[in-house]
Amino acid sequence: MENTIEQNSKMTAEESLSLITETLNNSRKEITRKSGRFFIFWGVLLTFFSLLIYALCKFTDNEAWNWLWFALPAIGIPSERFLRDKNASENVRNDVSRFVSGIWSTFGFFACAIGAFTLIISLVYPDSIRLLAAVLGLIAELVLLFGLAECITGVALKNWAIKIAGFVTGVGGLAIYYIAGSGWEPMLIFTFAGLVLIATGLIIRIQYK
Amino acid sequence: MFPKLDPLLHSELRLAIVSLLAGVEEADFNYLKEHTGATSGNLSVQIDKLAEAGYISVEKGFKGKMPRTTCKITLSGTEAFRNYVKALKKYLVAGK
Repeated sequence: MENTIEQNSKMTAEESLSLITETLNNSRKEITRKSGRFFIFWGVLLTFFSLLIYALCKFTDNEAWNWLWFALPAIGIPSERFLRDKNASENVRNDVSRFVSGIWSTFGFFACAIGAFTLIISLVYPDSIRLLAAVLGLIAELVLLFGLAECITGVALKNWAIKIAGFVTGVGGLAIYYIAGSGWEPMLIFTFAGLVLIATGLIIRIQYK
Repeated sequence: MFPKLDPLLHSELRLAIVSLLAGVEEADFNYLKEHTGATSGNLSVQIDKLAEAGYISVEKGFKGKMPRTTCKITLSGTEAFRNYVKALKKYLVAGK
């Protein structure tokens, strides 16, 4: 709110309604805009991890580097909590930001659950992890889940660009996964997903400026 | 007959506080201070008045070593805010 409210003055009905509308709108815009920084944070992390793991797998031809994926939430979740706590008074939540946060927490939970399931199965049946992942269609499942989460975020924020980005990442990623075959390249779908997250964060920050 | 406007809410700073809290889960003192631009003393007095009326709940605690006061709108505060907006609309419709 630009102006200073120091006087506890009485207002006309118009002034009161105007104050309420302005306060609610400004607050909603600001909270949503600030939530954009977490999209950028996770986008950078996902882009970095996907490129790192892709490079390690490709140049050593060792699929065991895939276990590094578990470091992503292990680093990301405490770092995000630290960022939230550091700016606690700024990080106020409303219904929209709580809903969007819930969408991505659910995605994270499912992604970790699928990863953990693959880990357990691979320990019980110590065959090739890559083969197992291919059988389970791990990348396809994750990219579809990602696209779904992104699309729902677009619905929550009433933003077509984010909805389309979710559709392109989910369905497009799935198509690339099946076209690209069995090399390491399909892993780069996650790099694209990371860039989509960064773009989402930037769109949110611009839309709610 | 016009409904009576809630005198507790019909004050610029208190209305701004309640409007801010109506749109969020909870907010701390610094957030309210920054968004209303009020002085700490005045804000503190108005928060106390709203808390005494049961419109908001106030929780005092610590974040690390720093004291932190968190405010949250209550159910009766939400109801009062809703009634206040309804009453305002009646005034505006009648004025047209």
